[in-house]
Amino acid sequence: MFKEWWQSLVSAKNIFPVEQGGKPIIHQENQIPLLQVENLSLAYGKRVILENVSFEVHAGEFWFLLGGNGMGKTSFLNCLLGLIPAQHGAYHLHPVLRSRARIGFVPQQCSFNPSLATSVREFVSLGLVGIETHKTEREAALHFALQQLNLTAFAKRNYWSLSGGQQQRVRVARALVRRPYFLLMDEPTNGLDLAVQSALLEDLARLQQEGLTILLVSHDLQLATQYATHVALFNEGKVQAGKASDLLTAPILKQLYGTQQLPHCPHCLTAHV
Amino acid sequence: MFNDFISSWGLFYPSYITGWLVAFSLSLVGVFVVARDQIFISAAVAQASSFGVALGLWLSLATGIAWFGSDVALMNSAVLFAVLAALFSSHSIRRDSVEAVTGWIFLSASSGAMLLLTHSPHGTEEVHRLLASSLIGATQFDMWVFVGFAVFTVGMLLRYWQPLLLFTLDPRMAATTGLSVWRWGIFKALWLGLAVGLSIRVSGMLYVFACLVLPALVAKRLCGEIGRLLWVTPIIALFASGFGFVFANHYDFPPGQVTVAVLCSLLVLVWLLPINKD
Repeated sequence: MFKEWWQSLVSAKNIFPVEQGGKPIIHQENQIPLLQVENLSLAYGKRVILENVSFEVHAGEFWFLLGGNGMGKTSFLNCLLGLIPAQHGAYHLHPVLRSRARIGFVPQQCSFNPSLATSVREFVSLGLVGIETHKTEREAALHFALQQLNLTAFAKRNYWSLSGGQQQRVRVARALVRRPYFLLMDEPTNGLDLAVQSALLEDLARLQQEGLTILLVSHDLQLATQYATHVALFNEGKVQAGKASDLLTAPILKQLYGTQQLPHCPHCLTAHV
Repeated sequence: MFNDFISSWGLFYPSYITGWLVAFSLSLVGVFVVARDQIFISAAVAQASSFGVALGLWLSLATGIAWFGSDVALMNSAVLFAVLAALFSSHSIRRDSVEAVTGWIFLSASSGAMLLLTHSPHGTEEVHRLLASSLIGATQFDMWVFVGFAVFTVGMLLRYWQPLLLFTLDPRMAATTGLSVWRWGIFKALWLGLAVGLSIRVSGMLYVFACLVLPALVAKRLCGEIGRLLWVTPIIALFASGFGFVFANHYDFPPGQVTVAVLCSLLVLVWLLPINKD
């Protein structure tokens, strides 16, 4: 038992982002999953939401959880966040993630009171709740998060006076202030126009290139084809998970969504050929 | 005006200091009530606390056991019912909203308190006194109780400001950071219940409800950051109660009601002020 624990810690040093010159790096060659889902089933009372879901997420991957409304994507995310229990099966987080200090979460909407003026700075700093840090470390983490999303100039602005796109970036910054290894996002592009969606996804893709592992719930197949390295397709309680290039193919999409055509979809073109 | 107040100090200082400490402590608790826009919950908790006092008085009359009507027993009963109300009012029941539950608590506590004491000598008078607020009569014991509670409140805010704030504003988000929402929910209900339950017997429902919500509402209009509410809100509460007590003493008005009137006027004033918080 001790040997396993020690090996996981040693491995963690290699697979998780390490600050070097201000930028996190990651080694892709590892095979230890950040998240291992094993035969996970979810239910609300007698209504089964998901059945026997199994897949693994490795460091540096960019996952899209795709599927229609009511297919259990957000429930699955809530389970990973510890908000709802699994009916059967389990998921295992890497030991480094078990305290949840290095997991960032971006909710679909903000539940804060809109009549309460909240500066961007204090909004983002609330992301540090649950992590014991010194004041200097908090300042550094805050600076890092705001800088990553070009929000430094907005630090003193009222969150509620920002546009929808800017508010979403602030929510991402609140997750990044924890310096997460694993970022979970619930439909972050909902309600954003195409340009803002694209800018946000470019930022996320850059962070993923720098070593962050991202798991994102979305309805948007086109964004998935552009940015996902891996996808999990949620349909009628079942989940197909794997590399985006293997799963975002015309026959599978036809089966799941009744469509074969996706504009600018390199994987679908490959499938057609 | 101020000289009159100074000359009354020797006789009424426990009431004055207790009133200021109640205003100070409740205004800090009220930051969290207002932050979540749970104004009506604080009214329901205060009303439930009044019911606790009424129940204690009724028990002492019905059983003939004088202890039930003692200060300690009434304080405990007020705190108990305030805590229970704070716990229940933050949950929906069988898909009825939190507002519906809060409304039920408010109405059942209001009617219950009156019904319990209607046929007892001075009972109705006592309920009216609780509702109307009278700060005169606070003892040195009350004063020291509120010194302790004020110190506890400030210490707790210095230590737990951020988790308490995140839990108040977005419990789901707080849960994802590893905070136990269940524990924090209990803790917050105990804190609110303790604040209201300790205050209600000394200062009455009107003063308690006003000090919980009005200073924080005024500060909310003035502050561009949530963090500033922590020091602006108690300053407003102390200013209003300070001015209110001096004014009430000079013109022979009830101090609680004057303080509430000052706070209401301040709120109207800040509503009228053009404040840019962008």
